[in-house]
Amino acid sequence: MKIIIAGAGAVGFHLAELLAKENQDITLIDTDEEILDHVSTHLDVMTILGDAASIHVLEDAKISNTDLFLAVTTSGSTNLLLAIMAKQRGAKRTIARVNNPEYFEQHQKENFKKLGVDVLISPQLLAAQEIERLLQRGSFTDIFEFEKGRISIVGFTLDTTCPLINKTIGEIDQSNDFTFRGIALLRGHKTIIPRSSTKLIKGDHLYIASVAKSMDAILQFVGKQLQPIKKVMIAGGTSLAFRTAELVQDKYSVSVIVKNKNRAKLFAENLNNALVINADPSNVDILKEEGLEQMDAFIALTVNDETNIVTSLMAEHMNVYKTIALVDNVNYTHISQNIGVDTIINKKLIAANNIFRFVRKGKVEAIASLHGVEAEVIEFEIHKKNRLLRNCISDLRLPIHSIIAGVIRGDDSFIPSGDFLFEINDKVIVFALPEAIHQVEEIFK
Amino acid sequence: MIRIGAVLKVLGVLLIVLGSLMLSSLPFSFYYGGEDAVALFSSALVTSFTGLGLWYFNKSQQKIGKREGYLIVALGWLSMGIVSMLPYLFSGVLSDFTNAFFESISGLTTTGASVINDIEAVPKGVLFWRSLTQWIGGMGIIVLTIALFPLLGIGGVELFIAEAPGPTSDKIHPRIKETAKRLWLIYVGLTALLTFLLYLCGMNFYDSINHGLTTMATGGFSTKNDSIAYFNNPLIQYLITFFMFLAGTNYTIIYFGLKGELKKVWKSDEFKTYFLLLLSVTFIITCLVFNFTDHSLEQSLRESVFQIVSIVTTTGFVSADYTSWSPGLTLVFFCLLFIGGCAGSTSGGIKVIRHLVLIKNTFLEFKRLLHPRALIRTKVDGQLVAQRVLTHILVFLLIYLGIFFSGSIIMAMILKNYDQPLMTAFGAVATTIGNVGPGIGAVGPLDNFAHIPYLGKWFLSFLMLLGRLELFTILILFTPYFWKTN
Repeated sequence: MKIIIAGAGAVGFHLAELLAKENQDITLIDTDEEILDHVSTHLDVMTILGDAASIHVLEDAKISNTDLFLAVTTSGSTNLLLAIMAKQRGAKRTIARVNNPEYFEQHQKENFKKLGVDVLISPQLLAAQEIERLLQRGSFTDIFEFEKGRISIVGFTLDTTCPLINKTIGEIDQSNDFTFRGIALLRGHKTIIPRSSTKLIKGDHLYIASVAKSMDAILQFVGKQLQPIKKVMIAGGTSLAFRTAELVQDKYSVSVIVKNKNRAKLFAENLNNALVINADPSNVDILKEEGLEQMDAFIALTVNDETNIVTSLMAEHMNVYKTIALVDNVNYTHISQNIGVDTIINKKLIAANNIFRFVRKGKVEAIASLHGVEAEVIEFEIHKKNRLLRNCISDLRLPIHSIIAGVIRGDDSFIPSGDFLFEINDKVIVFALPEAIHQVEEIFK
Repeated sequence: MIRIGAVLKVLGVLLIVLGSLMLSSLPFSFYYGGEDAVALFSSALVTSFTGLGLWYFNKSQQKIGKREGYLIVALGWLSMGIVSMLPYLFSGVLSDFTNAFFESISGLTTTGASVINDIEAVPKGVLFWRSLTQWIGGMGIIVLTIALFPLLGIGGVELFIAEAPGPTSDKIHPRIKETAKRLWLIYVGLTALLTFLLYLCGMNFYDSINHGLTTMATGGFSTKNDSIAYFNNPLIQYLITFFMFLAGTNYTIIYFGLKGELKKVWKSDEFKTYFLLLLSVTFIITCLVFNFTDHSLEQSLRESVFQIVSIVTTTGFVSADYTSWSPGLTLVFFCLLFIGGCAGSTSGGIKVIRHLVLIKNTFLEFKRLLHPRALIRTKVDGQLVAQRVLTHILVFLLIYLGIFFSGSIIMAMILKNYDQPLMTAFGAVATTIGNVGPGIGAVGPLDNFAHIPYLGKWFLSFLMLLGRLELFTILILFTPYFWKTN
């Protein structure tokens, strides 16, 4: 597939990286020569120096036989223009990154489609939605539902009170009657696919897949009581903070801490159900005064990654049940999760992963990326009879860096064992590390 | 820290590829009696098994970074030089290590300087291998490996840059693997076409394919002692001249030419300069040769254009002795040793693009003197040349000339017993570092390198490698920065 990416910022770079691993033909356009130099020595893509809005540059990039055009520069209006231009010159599909929430209303989307912009993506909106989702299931750092929750994948950190510590996966499996499958274990920087002999230790971040009916049993068992979240504190005056507050203000009691007076005013004028406080979020005393200790969730969304990490840790220290921090610097992701921030949000990665899913659609049913894990959960549907149906799972020779998380058959769902046999129209959910993704796709194609 | 395991693993793959390529000499060996079949086969076995061993015992899946890239290319070419000499040694064509190594490095670097006195007596299988080394070295085995195997991953980009000739390496396809594939496809296609055309012109198939291989590689090994002059056929000379010209052209330009985008071809300043330079030099030298000798106009033109294109593209085929025309012309040909073909071609030398950038910049320097406040930037193909690239090219030229002069001094000392030690030293050093082949003095177009002392052969081998990998790839290994982590 021939793909043009306009804009080599964080989103563009991450997308190029994801897509290059997929062996797609990528051309990256940007005006910054230094960034392009970095890209061309680190990624197997073609780079073009120039303004993507120039017709000359677009033609240089062979826009006429492009399958997918991604406009992900920092300017929303430029992206719209780029997508329209690309479409008119022959790009088959166009995706534009915009931030204006008005554009996302249904009939507006239709209008943009008529103009030539097939898909609109807003990193902020996606991040806000992600935060909303995380608040709903407060016990987990991550949660993905496949086919309306028939199979769920949840992630949680094993703290000292967790009864799973110092047990192997096999032991846990035998001593209980609920079904689950450990699919990934994040230990320090390493992602491990747990086997039955893998022993869990304190601080491990475990991802498990399970069927709907076992979910409550699992929750109880792992020691994370389902604690409904009522009070939420959001720190930061960014537009993401605003969007998040707007999204969750009707469901929770929300206070927003905004440092800049003008921004605070703007927030107060436009948020009807939230309490807006004009204060510096890095000042602990003020946060305490505003009741940080009584909060169920603390979400740090300031422009500064370091402030976000430190204030989240502070909240964690004061026994706030759930902490979420916006960390846009990818290098901080692992370390922040290791030192105790519950969940890290990176809006650029979220956007890139989302766009990536659009690219992969058609080949697969659904796809999810776990936070901080360089791996993917992919859903395949078995459409026709092939060797998948004739052999049981243990004979399929799946690559070692992948594992079958679950199977959905009609209204039923299973966590399959080695002697499981697939049937036609089964939906298979597979977890795979990057090196195995290609092989897995070959097998299920 | 340099991940030596990753380096050795890739070297293993390179050797396996090279070993398999050795086997392709076997059909020729059998057809002509098979006296060298055992030698070729055992060389292929030794090479492949060494490669397999390196590949098997270094299982690490480590990332290839900049340092590893440079080390792979440098060590890769060195080890290829060592195993490529096995057929010469095993078949007894060359009995000692020094000569065999010189011949194999001369082949791989597409220099074409030979130490074999009677080429026609060499068994046909080994002789084919000798031509094939040039063909492999021309496009570069690492580019071939990238085209065939996905194993190099992202590190492939670094390797590609380190091995590809010239300061610029344009991608003609977003993916490096596809780029490498297309380059090799053009290379193979043009070689096959030339082989076919030579066959039509009356060469036998064996000579056609050998000359096809060495022409497209801008190598210059011939199957005959008298090189192209042996065939005494004007048509063959014109044909080879044209294909040498193509081989010295940037493959990206050829790619666009083949795709019919002629506008892009003519937009390339380097190609224009290369073409016009050859045209004007040919015109001048033809007139001079016509004046100095009793050749007819056609013969003057044919011999001049052949020699000029052969030297400028660093091929090194010979159809006439250019040193016999006039001392002045000998000096002109000596200067031509420093030009080289286009970047991204199989030729060696300094390359037209570097000359072009420097000359343009030099001219603009005068303008800058008169307009001290004006912003005057050097442009090539209508695009700015970045300051860093300008410095890089300048440094390249300085190192090139520095090595030429110091190398000549060293060679002159080694050749102290010669009739013309200075001329020979200048010629030998200029021709080896530029990967041309023939020089002046005792290494002129009709002579070979067999008479050079052992020490001199080792030194020249080093220069050939240095020239083929464009100085920096080898020299960087001798800097402290390469080995220190910070």
